[in-house]
Amino acid sequence: MRAIWLLTPAALAASTSGHATTYLSVAEAQHVLFPGAACSPVALSLTPDQRAAIEHASGAHNGPALEVWRVAGGGWFVVDRVIGKHEYITYAVGLDANGAIRGVEILDYRESYGGEVRHKPWRTQFIGKTSHDALQLGRDIKNISGATLSCRHVTEGVKRIVATYDLVLRQLG
Amino acid sequence: MTSSSANSVKSTVIRTQPLLGTFIEIRASGASRERVDRAITRAFAAVSRVQRVMSPHQHDSDIARLNRAPLGTRVRVHPWTARVLRAAQSLSRASDGVFDVTVNTWLRRPAADLRQDAAATPVTDWRAIVVGPGATIRRLSDVRVDLGGIAKGFAVDRAIDALRRAGVTHAVVNAGGDLRVLGRTSERVLVRHPANPAVIIPLLDLTDGAVCTSANYLDAPGHERLRRPDGRALAADHHSISVCAPSCMIADALTKIVAAIGVRESRALLERHRASALVLSRNGRMIASDPASHAA
Repeated sequence: MRAIWLLTPAALAASTSGHATTYLSVAEAQHVLFPGAACSPVALSLTPDQRAAIEHASGAHNGPALEVWRVAGGGWFVVDRVIGKHEYITYAVGLDANGAIRGVEILDYRESYGGEVRHKPWRTQFIGKTSHDALQLGRDIKNISGATLSCRHVTEGVKRIVATYDLVLRQLG
Repeated sequence: MTSSSANSVKSTVIRTQPLLGTFIEIRASGASRERVDRAITRAFAAVSRVQRVMSPHQHDSDIARLNRAPLGTRVRVHPWTARVLRAAQSLSRASDGVFDVTVNTWLRRPAADLRQDAAATPVTDWRAIVVGPGATIRRLSDVRVDLGGIAKGFAVDRAIDALRRAGVTHAVVNAGGDLRVLGRTSERVLVRHPANPAVIIPLLDLTDGAVCTSANYLDAPGHERLRRPDGRALAADHHSISVCAPSCMIADALTKIVAAIGVRESRALLERHRASALVLSRNGRMIASDPASHAA
């Protein structure tokens, strides 16, 4: 190991603020979550009844329309965007043929200030979750003090996607 | 904590997953995109395994099973859990109980709760946890184990291990406050200013080692997550504490000790682990454990 501390009083004055990171494109995330499998987009237009049912089942308010792909050989790939207090997060969820969460990959992250989500305890046990395991703030997922909104929105986003599978995608089989 | 690099190699991939209560960011370089992606997937799987066996919130984790097992009963755990507990016990011994994985849940409670419970003595006793042969653990008294102060660093170490085994030559694993660099290329590590978290400042240049930062500045007054073992808040000017060490697990745990007893009191322990610390206050005051390493 080699380490050189850089902090000096002068360095404190020279600073930058805010940042954005793009991690994966949609195609890259598809390849990561479903290596080698073809993903075909599905036009998902939900009826008002379906939207209400999803909202009821997930306890999460409907956000922007989800982008959905069907994965050859079974499974679904879903892209969603959540807006927190200080940041936008676009993320992808892979669901296997039984609707269990295969993985969650962040696609991009933009923060105007804060970034509490990045370095505050935020307990997630998404892997292997199905809609039968209620994702609950404070129980499954530890709240972020000072950044509750963004945490809640990401959590709700995942819940909404799982409920959308149960009520709509599963029937499209 | 974020990091930046001017490193240029054949294929560099950066991915993030929500794990361990934070976002784990992995940036890795290797021979091809395909190979690096596979390596990163393995690294995330290792972190996920640490979460599965050590999270106190997961009903079937080693820690949850240990915490509800009858006293004296040997609980068989994953070898990783036994390893982390052994390291924790060793640090508890060396710090005379300042580091104690049995106090963690109590420490996380808001100060208001602690005041209300002034009469109730916190149940903390690292000696009541016995790590036996064959990765078995038993509790001798009714204390609860929470590896929150050390497991995240261990998970970062396992991720680095997975990347190395998969042929990655250079990587940074960043679990929020816990970061480790693999390879011979130096990485500049940045940190938020405790007086203004929107401002990011350079912290250190790091090669083949880990750095962990703990800070209070995002917590509401009276609700600081970092506390001394006796429940009191930290020294008034200890607003951001960083420790670098060869392993992320050690850096993670030492950060808590430095936060609790200060840089000067921690110096011998830091040196024993080839670690060093830097504490930053809101007004820009700095205390380094080793002035020689504190180069501009």
